[in-house]
Amino acid sequence: MFRILKKSLKTGVATGRHPQATQSSEPLTPEAHKKASAFNRSLAIREVDTGSCNACEVEMNALTNPVYDAERFGIHIAASPRHADALVVTGPVTVNMARALKDVYKQTPDPKLVIALGDCAIDCGAFKGSYAVTGPVDRHIPVDVRIPGCPPRPADILKALTDIQERP
Amino acid sequence: MAETKSCDTELKTAFPSIVQRDTTQREFSHFFVAKDLLPTIARHLHTQPGLHGRLALLWAVDNRPARNTYELHYLFTLEPSHRWVLLSTELAKDDRVFPSITPHIHAAQWYEREIRDMFGLIPQGHPDLRRLVRHEHWPQGAHPLKKDFPWDRALGRQQGEHRFHRIEGEGVFEVPVGPIHAGIIEPGHFRFSVAGEPIMQLELHHFWTHRGVEKLFEQQPLAAAVPLAERVSGDTTFGHSLAYCQAVESLRHLDVPRRGRYLRSLFLELERLHNHLGDVGAICNDTAYALPHAHCSRMKEQIMQLNDRLTGSRFLRGLNRVGGVALDLTAAQLAEIAAEIDRMEQDFSELESIIAHNASLIDRLEATGVLTERTAWDHAVVGVVGRASGLDQDLRRDRPFAAYDELSVKVVHYRYGDVRARMRVRMDEIHESMRLIREIRLRIPQGPVAVESSPRAQAGEWALSAVEGWRGEILYMVMAGDNETIQRCKVRDPSFVNWPAIQWAVIGNIIPDFPLINKSFNLSYAGNDL
Repeated sequence: MFRILKKSLKTGVATGRHPQATQSSEPLTPEAHKKASAFNRSLAIREVDTGSCNACEVEMNALTNPVYDAERFGIHIAASPRHADALVVTGPVTVNMARALKDVYKQTPDPKLVIALGDCAIDCGAFKGSYAVTGPVDRHIPVDVRIPGCPPRPADILKALTDIQERP
Repeated sequence: MAETKSCDTELKTAFPSIVQRDTTQREFSHFFVAKDLLPTIARHLHTQPGLHGRLALLWAVDNRPARNTYELHYLFTLEPSHRWVLLSTELAKDDRVFPSITPHIHAAQWYEREIRDMFGLIPQGHPDLRRLVRHEHWPQGAHPLKKDFPWDRALGRQQGEHRFHRIEGEGVFEVPVGPIHAGIIEPGHFRFSVAGEPIMQLELHHFWTHRGVEKLFEQQPLAAAVPLAERVSGDTTFGHSLAYCQAVESLRHLDVPRRGRYLRSLFLELERLHNHLGDVGAICNDTAYALPHAHCSRMKEQIMQLNDRLTGSRFLRGLNRVGGVALDLTAAQLAEIAAEIDRMEQDFSELESIIAHNASLIDRLEATGVLTERTAWDHAVVGVVGRASGLDQDLRRDRPFAAYDELSVKVVHYRYGDVRARMRVRMDEIHESMRLIREIRLRIPQGPVAVESSPRAQAGEWALSAVEGWRGEILYMVMAGDNETIQRCKVRDPSFVNWPAIQWAVIGNIIPDFPLINKSFNLSYAGNDL
C-alpha cells in the first residue's frame, strides 16, 4: 500500500508531458463538422485495422496512456462498432479484410464519421498496387477525415480528433 | 571447428548421395539432396541426439525463368553448436509435388501450406491441406509468388468457406472471435471449441492482413527496399530493417564499420525496451490490474519520445540503410540516453516490487497458459516464448550480429512456460537491455557509421540473415536478381512459428484467460500474414 502511494507521489502528473502536435492534418470539411456536431463533445471510437503494419495501432494505443489520456477530452474507445460514433480505419484494406470493413461500416449506427488514419488508409502507402490490396479506404466506404503520417504521432492524432469536436 | 567437420562428415557418411556446396557464410553447411531422400535426411537432422536440428526456415523459389525448376530450401539450426545446415532440392520441369516432412517435423506444417498457397506446389503426405494464406474466396489457381503472376493483378472472388476442425458431442459449442477484436488490435480469427468453461480446442484462422509483402519486395531494387522491411511489422521496425540490411550487406560483401554496428545494437535494445515495457503493463492490465499498465505505458512513451528526439522517429524508422546507419549520435546524446535509462531503471525496479508483492496477480499468472518445453521444441518456437518454456536460445549470444560479438549478453530462461514465466523473461530482459545500453555507451568506438555500398550483388546469389528482435528470431533470405533487383525475399517474423504454439498453450484454460495468454505471447499479425 505504502509502496503504491509512494510511487504515485514520486511520479507526479504524467499527463500532457509530450511534444506539441507538429503536423497539421488537412482542415476539416464543413460536411464533416456538420456530421460531428451530433456527438457534441464526446466521441466513441471503434478502431478497425484493415491490414496496417501495426504501427498505427501502437500509436492509437498510446492515446489511452496517462501521457495523452484522450478520455479527458471525451474521446472513448468503444469495444463494438454498435457503440461507436466514429470508425478509425488503418491499413490499405487487404482483399481478406474488404468484406469485414464493409460489415463494420454497416453495423455502426448513423450518424457516423469515418476517419482514415495513416498513409496506408489514405492512399495504400508502401503497399500500393499489390495484388492483395484493394484500398484505399475511401474506395470501400466514404471517408470524412484524413490523418496522414506513417504513422502519425499520437499528438497529431489527438489534435485531429479534438479538432473534430470543435464548433465550426 | 572440429564439431563442424564432424557434423558434415557424419551426414555425408550416413547419406552418401548428398552433395555439399560451398558457402561463404560462417558456421553454415549447404547440401543438395534428391527430393525423395529429403524427409529421411530432415528427420535424421531433427531427431539425431548429437544434431538436434530445429527447423528454422523453409522457403521455395520459382526458378523457372532461368532453369525451369522450383527450388526448395530447408534451413535447420543445430541446437548444440548453433550451426546452420541447409538442405536444398529441386523440382524439375512439370513436377509440382514434393514430399512433406510435416509427419516427422511438426514445425514444417505452416511453411508447407504456405508454399502450396504461394507457389501451387503440393506437399505430398501433409496431414492438413486446407488453404492457409489464401482465404477461401481467392480464385483457384492464384499463386502469387509464381513468377508469371503479375504483382498488381486484381484478384477475383469465388464462393467458399473455411472448414474448421469440428469437435462434436453433448454440450460442446463453438465460440468464434474476430477478425475484428474489441481492443485496438490487429485482425485475426480464433475459433474455440468448449464444453462448459475449459477450452478443448483452439483453431487459428489468420492471414487477414496479407498485403503481398514478399511479392512487393520483388518489385524493388536491393538498396531501396529498406522502407518496406520497416513496414513488415511496425512494432519491430528496427529489427526487420536490420535483418534486411544485413542480408543485402552480405550479398555485397560489405563490412559495416564498428561504430555503425554498435549503434545498431543500441537501437535494437531501445526497441526491445519500449516493447517489453508495454507488454509487462499489458499483461497486468489483462488481469484488470490497471496500475502497472499506467506506469508501464508511461515508461514506454518516455522511450518512444526519446527515440523521437534522437532520430526523428518514434519507431526508429529511416535509420538503417544498406552499409550502416543513416545518422550518428553525439556524446551528449549518448549521455542523454544513459541518464534516461538510469532514471527508468530505478522507476521500473520500484514498479517491479509492487507487482511482485501482489499475490492475486501472481496467482492469476501462475500455471496459466502453460506451453511445455516439448511442445515448444516441436513447434520450433523462438524468442521470449521459447525462453519462457526452457529453450535456452538467443541469437545475440548464439550467432552474434551487429556489435554483440563484443558485448556479452546474459540470456535468461525459465522452465515453467506459463504466463508468469513469459512476463519474468520480459522483466529480466528489460534490465539486461538497460545494462547493454550502458555498456554500449562506454565501449562505442569512434569512426564512420556507414560504408558506401559500391560493389554490386551477383544475380542469383543469395544470403541469409538472422536478428534477435524483441519478439525473437527474425530471418531474411534475400536473393539478388539482374541489375540489383530482388529475385526473391523470404521474410520470417518470429510470430509465424509462435502462432501455432498458442493453440496448445490454451488447452484446458478458460476462455476469459485467453486474452491474458494471447497478450503474454504478444505476436504480430502483420508480421505473420505478410
